[in-house]
Amino acid sequence: MSAQVRLGLLQAAAPLLAIAFGALVASGIILAIGEDPLEVYALMLRFNLTRSDSVAAILFKATALTFAGLAVALAFRANLWNIGVEGQYAVGAFAAALVAFGVNGLPAFIHLPLAILAGVAGGAIWALLPIVLKLRRGAHEVITTIMMNHIAAALVLYLLADVFRDPTQAGTPRVRTPLFLDSARIPPLRPLLQQFGIGIPEHSALNWFLVLAVVLCLAAAYLLARTRFGYEVRAVALNPHAAEAAGVRIARTQFLMFLASGATAGLVGLSDILGFFGYFDIDFPKGLGFLGISVALLARNNPMGVVPAALLLGFLDRGAQGVQVFAGVPREVITILQAVIILAIVVGYELVTRYVRAQRKREAERAVAAPSDAVMQEGG
Amino acid sequence: MSAVIELTQITKRFPGVLANDRISLAVSPGEIHALVGENGAGKSTLMKILYGLYEPDEGWIAIRGNRVTLDSPSRAITVGIGMVHQHFMLIPRFTVAENVILGSEPARAGRLSMSEARRRIRALADQYGLAVDPDAEVGALSVGEQQRVEIIKVLYRGAEVLILDEPTAVLTPQEVDDLFANLRRLRAEGKTILFISHILEEVLDIADRISVLRRGRVVGTLEAARATKAQIAEMMVGRPVLMELDVPPARPGPVRLEAADLVVPGSRGRMAVRGLSFQVREGEILGIAGIEGNGQSELVEALVGLRAPSGGRLRIMGEDMTQAGPRSIRMIGVAHIPEDRHRRGLVLPMEVWENLILGHHFRPEFGEGMLLDRGAIEGFARERVDRFDVRTPSLRTLALALSGGNQQKVIVAREFGFAPSVLIAAQPTRGLDIGATEFVRRQILAAREAGMAVVLVSAMLEEVLSLADRVAVMHAGEIVAEFARGAATPREIGLYMTGARRTQEVPA
Repeated sequence: MSAQVRLGLLQAAAPLLAIAFGALVASGIILAIGEDPLEVYALMLRFNLTRSDSVAAILFKATALTFAGLAVALAFRANLWNIGVEGQYAVGAFAAALVAFGVNGLPAFIHLPLAILAGVAGGAIWALLPIVLKLRRGAHEVITTIMMNHIAAALVLYLLADVFRDPTQAGTPRVRTPLFLDSARIPPLRPLLQQFGIGIPEHSALNWFLVLAVVLCLAAAYLLARTRFGYEVRAVALNPHAAEAAGVRIARTQFLMFLASGATAGLVGLSDILGFFGYFDIDFPKGLGFLGISVALLARNNPMGVVPAALLLGFLDRGAQGVQVFAGVPREVITILQAVIILAIVVGYELVTRYVRAQRKREAERAVAAPSDAVMQEGG
Repeated sequence: MSAVIELTQITKRFPGVLANDRISLAVSPGEIHALVGENGAGKSTLMKILYGLYEPDEGWIAIRGNRVTLDSPSRAITVGIGMVHQHFMLIPRFTVAENVILGSEPARAGRLSMSEARRRIRALADQYGLAVDPDAEVGALSVGEQQRVEIIKVLYRGAEVLILDEPTAVLTPQEVDDLFANLRRLRAEGKTILFISHILEEVLDIADRISVLRRGRVVGTLEAARATKAQIAEMMVGRPVLMELDVPPARPGPVRLEAADLVVPGSRGRMAVRGLSFQVREGEILGIAGIEGNGQSELVEALVGLRAPSGGRLRIMGEDMTQAGPRSIRMIGVAHIPEDRHRRGLVLPMEVWENLILGHHFRPEFGEGMLLDRGAIEGFARERVDRFDVRTPSLRTLALALSGGNQQKVIVAREFGFAPSVLIAAQPTRGLDIGATEFVRRQILAAREAGMAVVLVSAMLEEVLSLADRVAVMHAGEIVAEFARGAATPREIGLYMTGARRTQEVPA
């Protein structure tokens, strides 16, 4: 039993060790540009954790990253690579924007869910073609989703600039949709936090989508661990041949998981546009889909790991801003730190997993080897 | 009598495992020395040490009284030790001569001299009675002939000691006879042979002396002439083993599974099963014998719904299941012990309890609606583990941590759940040690006693003959003969397996 506890602790500590390792490597880089790594890290911690605007910014950033990471992780859990989260969230967000500014006269409790649903549908539809091509024709989803990303970027830009551009902005350099109706806006989280005595700045973008993101991760974890479908998904991912022999319909399982991935991707941009900006413009945040791959990697595709992984990336992102402003360390150094930590965690986790697996195997061998007269009859 | 090879106190450790524990062994010149032991007893490790693939942690090796360090296979060859591998290391597109010289090409002034090679190969073949044509393409040869090429390859390099690792596993009874004749001839010509096997009949037939390994140690060396099967088995396992199964007479009931003119495609568009018809009744075992690759795997896949037949009919429990998928076939009461337990039978990185419901997980017993009922599953898993004596530290142990025998027990325990009517067992004892083999065979007989209709596909003829009530022989995708229990000898069946003979009444 103590060995079990020891192995469990080791597994839990692995990400912390990996972060420490990543920080160590980054220290070399910071030293190379003539700064003191300890000072830089101290500044980063102070800037991120003692300022309420920093905390809110980290949580806001983590909201979108959680959806993106979960989207990638869901596909991964069915042995599928969804590199297309980038395109799916762009399409999803634009679809939500259409509903948010284009539909009039609905109460908020219908209008907002409808806009969110449009986002979900947009993401799922953009995932539909790659998965159908994969299952019907064997086209690799990495290639098709990357292609879909390009199409999505061009399509959204076209629709934004040439079809749905706010006519009142004509003649200005601003390229954006009309403003969303208030009934389609996601309410901010500030009033709730204030009730608990947690103060965040009034202009904070933090909104209820943070709660939705966490709930969605919990729901995904529950689905995978406790339902028949989740059991089938795990079996398909770990050994499709055995799953097939057990009567699991592999194509159906993969299809549903990929659509779930696309639908989740459709939520990535909504916290930004429905929760903060109130319009969709040409500076709509990009690259979250690719960051989602990093988040999923850090989380080892475990939905429960997606939230802390997203928080870590949000933390580093905010820290980068602080360090850049107050210590004069270029942002790029923190970007390198992020990459090194991700690599370190991926490698470190793999090593720990292998070690734990070998230990378990040895334990099982020992348990079998231990002679016990009562069960020696049948051999083994 | 001075030993040609003498191993002294050889010890080899791997992390957590003592693979060889102070093994001492002396092999006399000109003897056939068999090495037997269960899986994991340390045979392979010992042979790899002899062949220079591993270095021992302790102990030493002496060849004709001189201590040697074998740190590579090429070093082993220079001192005269050659290995005939279980899986042939031949290039199919090369001729026999090209394969033999590969790695030690005879050259004259830098030019490859094939005529020299052919001459030497013919000389070796004549001397040892190993009939092969040096110019034949290896891919066109039978498995037995390919094995002869492997032996010639080793002799060509000047081996005095030949190590054969499970050489009969891939052969028909006739080919085994030929191999043994070859080995006796080699012995008569002064070669020394180390023969690794776990088939005791063969070992008693061919060997002069037999060394038994158990858990990394030599537990004894016997004169083959004075040893018995039961005695060796007991030494291997460490307790008495019942070698003969007690098979009560079959009481066949109504037909439960029926194939009519079944045609099943293979992997490359060729038809692997070409018009098979058979019936299996309640309470009987139909054995399907045959050399592997004659359509048995595809037939099994068709029977369990994993491969759609392209012609004919498949009826199970009176219903047409020709185009049914694995789930419907499971639900109608078909249990399946797959030939490759790691690929088809288990999800190795999942836990034991999860593997115990694989294929049962959609049953209403395991939860309402979408949710799985952990309590019900755990109760089922615990009952299965107890009843089938699966040795696992806990239900939460990963399947990959179990031994091969216990993994197979997990599959048997699962497949026997929910009272199936039909059992399709493919190579059910492959790679299992004596204890687990005995267990699985007993379970198959118990299934018959319980009234299941059993199809047993096995490449081990001896297994089919001891368990099956009727034996069908498959060759090139067809059933070429069928015998009642005891109606044919292994040699006769061997002739049908190779396609040398076929019964008239079976339609072509």
